[in-house]
Amino acid sequence: MSQEFEPRIVAFCCHHCAYGAADLAGAMRLRYPEGVRVVRLPCTGKLDVAHVLEAFERGADGAFVAG
Amino acid sequence: MIVAEQKPLDEILALTEGAERVAVLGCGTCVTVCFAGGEKEAEVLAASLRMRARVQGRSLDATHGVVQRQCEWEYLDAARPSLEGVDCVVSLACGVGVQAMVERFPELRTVPGLNTKFYGLPTEHGVWEARCAGCGDCVLGLTDGICPVARCSKSLLNGPCGGSQGGKCEISPDTPCAWHLIYERMEALGHLDRLAEIQPPKDWSPGPSGGPGRIVREDLRRGPPPAEESEPAQPSSLLAS
Repeated sequence: MSQEFEPRIVAFCCHHCAYGAADLAGAMRLRYPEGVRVVRLPCTGKLDVAHVLEAFERGADGAFVAG
Repeated sequence: MIVAEQKPLDEILALTEGAERVAVLGCGTCVTVCFAGGEKEAEVLAASLRMRARVQGRSLDATHGVVQRQCEWEYLDAARPSLEGVDCVVSLACGVGVQAMVERFPELRTVPGLNTKFYGLPTEHGVWEARCAGCGDCVLGLTDGICPVARCSKSLLNGPCGGSQGGKCEISPDTPCAWHLIYERMEALGHLDRLAEIQPPKDWSPGPSGGPGRIVREDLRRGPPPAEESEPAQPSSLLAS
């Protein structure tokens, strides 16, 4: 069993740009680590510090904001 | 508005020591618009308290809520259901709101989460400045609307002093000299001669120096005055509910 640390990252992505880019990356068969969980936002302007804190409270090791 | 800022997290944690169920209660008025104690700040503080407690290896159930105005007893009743079974309330209101909580819910332990700073206004995004000191005897009519009590570091009524340099106060280059501002305003209004009027020593007794403030408006008052009451009004109790 691997002891390597694999961080759980919550990726907050804007629907209109970063989420589209992630979609395109998927279509291109590009891979990203399994520990990345994408949360689609209508706009990253919607992101509040409370959302980031909740991600950490629920066990995320990091938050990634893309927009 | 009343301007406040949040206490350091460690200080708030120390104030809640021993409590396992904490409610962070924001106020929807002044401290919301100065981003110190509104619903959002209450939510963030509750999350921060939970996480800090977890890091310290202790159990803490922190919830959050907000009332429209913590400085009136009637508005506090809206928070009553959310305070059931709570060990400690962190009030994100000004000092008035904290004491209103204590008076309305005397059986609850309520601690302050903010430091109340001054009566002021935002001068730009993220900057608040004092404008009023609540002296109880307004002098703005003498100074063309610029308060030397709140805005002069010495609260001089006959200024400026020798510490006024280039329009700034000697205490900080970020602090405008109130008397310089008054001079400029009087000059612009064309009655600079009023600056030569010497103001006598101010009577500070109508303000905080005269003891705890109290205003009674008999035309608005309901019921008998306190002296005729058989017993003081008791705030309703959470324990009795």
